[in-house]
Amino acid sequence: MNNETKIIKCEEAIRMMLEFLDNELHQHDHDSMEDHLESCRSCYSRMEFEQRLKGMVQKVNTDEASVALNQRIKKIIKGY
Amino acid sequence: MPATHFLEYASLSVTMVAQGAMKTSNRTYFEENIESCLDRLYGAALRMTRNTSDAEDLVAETVTRGLDKIDSLKDCKQFIHWLLRIMTNYFISECRKAEKRTRHESYTGEYGEEEAAFSLFEQLHQPFLLWWGTPEQDFLNKTLKEDITRAMDALAEKYRVVVVLSDIEGMTYQEVADTIGCPIGTVRSRLARARSLLQKTLWMHGKKRDLLEEQGFHHE
Repeated sequence: MNNETKIIKCEEAIRMMLEFLDNELHQHDHDSMEDHLESCRSCYSRMEFEQRLKGMVQKVNTDEASVALNQRIKKIIKGY
Repeated sequence: MPATHFLEYASLSVTMVAQGAMKTSNRTYFEENIESCLDRLYGAALRMTRNTSDAEDLVAETVTRGLDKIDSLKDCKQFIHWLLRIMTNYFISECRKAEKRTRHESYTGEYGEEEAAFSLFEQLHQPFLLWWGTPEQDFLNKTLKEDITRAMDALAEKYRVVVVLSDIEGMTYQEVADTIGCPIGTVRSRLARARSLLQKTLWMHGKKRDLLEEQGFHHE
């Protein structure tokens, strides 16, 4: 464990989980989370689950703009 | 003309020429790059508006507004985020107008705030089954793109917008805050709430689809 990181309990790890996955935690909290996840199977499983679900939400946008929309945009730019 | 006035005039002219050149180069950049951004813009618009026709209108309006505001594009590397900001602002303002007209769904109101946070993992995880299976992963294996889309569509606009910008478009919390014009703390709380509601919808839908019964969960 890094000497400067704080030991955190599961409750705190769960509270910080989503911000950890979003890479939005301060470095010291991020390090504390990493240390906790290395030693807590339950929180690690939770993190894996949340990460996978986040990835599924991320991939939801596979829709493509139609040919009609492409033409409409070209027309807007041309006429502007 | 006095020398000081001449210098001021010359400086102003140089600034105007520089601004004109920037406007032209931004316009050229816009024309050359808009096509490659269209799928992303349309995808974000579709998630925000929830229907194809409104999404196309939103993209078209974004492009028109982008051309109007071409001077505000300061960094071409931020082109897509700049367009998403224009799109989101327009979408939010239209939602507010519609809210005033219909008084149905509140953009600014705290929809569902009183409910406790919901965790799909907590509902599904069974620590004693650890060596025999992982119900939470099995649940995700059976979750389809349509299920996620439906759960997102069920969110109120203010939650949907932060999920689109953060989870789908990969903006940082600060970028989302700048885009929708609210404090970063509000982005944090809305995202947490949005994810909780999204997970709850997936859970309810899973129950309806008997995903849980297949996994040995029995609910009344």
